[in-house]
Amino acid sequence: MVGRIVNAIRAITALALVGSIALPHPSPAQTYRGRELVHAEVVANTTAVVPARSFTVGLLLQMAPGWHTYWKFPGDAGIPTEIKWNLPAGWRVGELRWPIPLKLKEPGDIEIYGYHDEVLLTQEITPPAQLAETSVKLAAEASWLVCEKICIPGSASVQLELPVGQTSTAAKSELFGRFARLSPQPWPGDNLSTANWKRSGTNLELALTGPGFDSNSAADFFPIPPPSIVVGHPVIAARAPGRIDFRVPLETSDAGASSIDGLVVLGDKANRRAWTLPASHRVIINSGGSTNPDSSSGGILRFLVLGLLGGFILNLMPCVLPVISLKIFGFVQQAGQSRKRILRSGLAFTAGIFAWFIGLAVVLILLKAAGHQITWAFQFTNPYFVLVMSAVVLVFALNLLGVFEIALPQSASRAVSGWSDHGGEAGSFFQGMFATILATPCTAPYLGAALGFAFTQSSALLLLMFAAIATGMSAPYLILCAEPRWLRFLPRPGPWMSHLKQLMGFLLLATLIFLLSVIGAERGLGAVIWTSCFLLTLSLACWIKGIWLTPVNPAGTRFVAGLVMALLVVTSAAYFLGAKFRATNATSAELTGLGDWKAFTPATLQAELDQGRPVFIDFTAAWCITCKFNEATVLESAAVRDAFRQRGIVKFRADWTNADPEITKMLKQFGRPGVPLYVLYPAGRSSEPIVFPELLTKRIVLDKLETIGPNVAAQ
Amino acid sequence: MKKASLLAFLVTFSTAALFAADSPPVGSAAPDVSVTDSKGNAHSLSQYKGKYVVLEWFNPECPFVKKHYGSGNMQKLQAEFTGKGVVWLTIDSSAPGTEGSLTPEQANKTMADWKTHSTALLLDSDGKAGRAYGAKNTPHMFVVNPEGKVIYEGAIDSKASPNPADIPSSTNYVKAALDESMAGKSVSTPNSRPYGCSVKYGK
Repeated sequence: MVGRIVNAIRAITALALVGSIALPHPSPAQTYRGRELVHAEVVANTTAVVPARSFTVGLLLQMAPGWHTYWKFPGDAGIPTEIKWNLPAGWRVGELRWPIPLKLKEPGDIEIYGYHDEVLLTQEITPPAQLAETSVKLAAEASWLVCEKICIPGSASVQLELPVGQTSTAAKSELFGRFARLSPQPWPGDNLSTANWKRSGTNLELALTGPGFDSNSAADFFPIPPPSIVVGHPVIAARAPGRIDFRVPLETSDAGASSIDGLVVLGDKANRRAWTLPASHRVIINSGGSTNPDSSSGGILRFLVLGLLGGFILNLMPCVLPVISLKIFGFVQQAGQSRKRILRSGLAFTAGIFAWFIGLAVVLILLKAAGHQITWAFQFTNPYFVLVMSAVVLVFALNLLGVFEIALPQSASRAVSGWSDHGGEAGSFFQGMFATILATPCTAPYLGAALGFAFTQSSALLLLMFAAIATGMSAPYLILCAEPRWLRFLPRPGPWMSHLKQLMGFLLLATLIFLLSVIGAERGLGAVIWTSCFLLTLSLACWIKGIWLTPVNPAGTRFVAGLVMALLVVTSAAYFLGAKFRATNATSAELTGLGDWKAFTPATLQAELDQGRPVFIDFTAAWCITCKFNEATVLESAAVRDAFRQRGIVKFRADWTNADPEITKMLKQFGRPGVPLYVLYPAGRSSEPIVFPELLTKRIVLDKLETIGPNVAAQ
Repeated sequence: MKKASLLAFLVTFSTAALFAADSPPVGSAAPDVSVTDSKGNAHSLSQYKGKYVVLEWFNPECPFVKKHYGSGNMQKLQAEFTGKGVVWLTIDSSAPGTEGSLTPEQANKTMADWKTHSTALLLDSDGKAGRAYGAKNTPHMFVVNPEGKVIYEGAIDSKASPNPADIPSSTNYVKAALDESMAGKSVSTPNSRPYGCSVKYGK
């Protein structure tokens, strides 16, 4: 009754202010046997439309006492309310936002989700940048099902007339505020609460932990299953302070279902609060060959082949090419020698490749067992690892440039007793390992799909996958060793060899620049300076070795030279890489420069999605060459930038240079062990995120944006 | 012999009652409940062993039921399959005093007025059959094969709306299940989310 009077007063006030503020269209009502069941109108939170400035509209449904309309998932019966806007061209409308519903029970164990009394379903509307009119009419068709003991469908044409202006003030703040407080919040970060889904027989089990879950207050899970899944009633399976376990029975025999969207609801009636819990592991890979990993034998075989191919392609990577050239060079040198020797050297090189991959697999298995977040190329997120790599690259480069020669210590070559003259094998072994280590930052994009599969599998399979990659990478050498006749396709030895060797040295120095840039991105300019100082003294030590620590020098000279070298390296390492290096900080964001990109955090992403905006995320890292290439040639190109802007897509950059654990988790969610990863969330949360291939072209991105065009464009 | 079947009936029924919350999973035995129709005849599933049986939950006042009867869609489907020897049981589980509750006379009049082609309209006013099957909606459809197993459970078709204009463009799951099963194929959509009004059970 009071509500009616208030409505009447509202209507009179609105009439009194004709022309100056928002004028609601005469509101249609649904009547049944002379009684008004549902009163529908659209309202806006602004007094005027300002070009290009988004505002919120709401469909307000007022139900007669005892009657209810439905939530987006109606439960056991009912139909969700719908609203279809007929907006002029250039206008965009966002996702419908539903306040937390009530769970209503009916006899016969029927549970439905809906609203009593009054509900405001809101949407963001973005007008175009230019508006010629002085006022606009926004029209929509709304339809709903209203039930008490009986159900009656209703519909109405509703419209809203707003003046166009350069300024506006807030309107209907009380109403919008009241329903904003009833809207579900994004799920808090995992440092605060955790949510884990498990499939157990015909049930989905959801384990929630968090400080808010005390054991007294009411708690519930409101499911939002996709149309293909029929769920029973979620029940609380177990409760303890800080923990709630829900069980959601599945009534479909969908073997693939492992989680569903839903709301975690605490409290009841007007005090209810809710968090949106997105289903985890919803992955679509549109191209790049792999879809949801399946562990059928066909799937395993496909991924092993992918691993093999990936391993082979590694040989062509810019990261690894200089080292591989070394090996080719070695073959050339050995071309005149015995087949046996070539074979042994090739096998040793292969063994080195295997040793690294298998070693890496074992480390990953151990880390996985310890519950760590594992991703490919993770070692490159550790600046100390990169530092050691820089030192190794520099030493190799100096060797190639002729500053010093590597001769295995006599004792070591004797240790490989029996065989005379086999020092080359140990060298080949380490070259194999070295080539592989250098290759890792280039590998992630190519092996991504295969490894994504491997990481979700058993340890044995993980090992098998790495072995496949190693086999792929060493295949060319094995072939050359098995058929040394093919070596004749390689050129004859000559003075060009030492020139080539020096050229390779410079190539390695180029690799060093890349490694230093990684350190710079991770720890800032200071770290690069300190690393360079250390590298300089290391070079000096190598130079000393080249002059005074050779087999032709007397033992005394060699001893002193060795001592000086050791002193130089140890003290400079202690001085430059000790406190000074440690004091440098991560400053990646400042160095990278975000431009019109926003820094990614799960909370900011959720906030944008809740606003119903389309979102694109660039998962990148300073040391990821593919990422940099994609950014420079595609994402920052004028055409792509314009396309993003026109569609109002919010751009996020997730910088994984320092292995941010939140980003690691996102990567895992998409089944990816590393960067790059490009994901587009179309407007409207019901749509699945679109995953782009690792290697982007303008065409791929623009085509994909075209396909989602209608979703985000004016409806 | 008689004792054994009675025992079997009791066991099935009590199990069904125990799990009334959920519909029998597709592939499991359909609960056997005896319900009287508008003409006073008792029907139980066991008497139709060897035949396909369609169970259709019904409420003449429900807009979703009206969608399929007003358009003639339901009658057409009933005629097609009863013509092929299928037993089609329309079941009204509305409790007395609730929407859609029918006396036998009203039920017969509705059947005549609406030109239904179902085998019988069962009046399940105590909701015994509805609860045994976990029927939640009107219409809520079940298809039982000649071995007495549920082969389909869920909505009548793929478009959850009260609008008859959606019928031509929707996939009828009941027809698909019957056609596929009769052709010896497995049912491609064995369940779906039912849509409609809630079944008006008594307390």
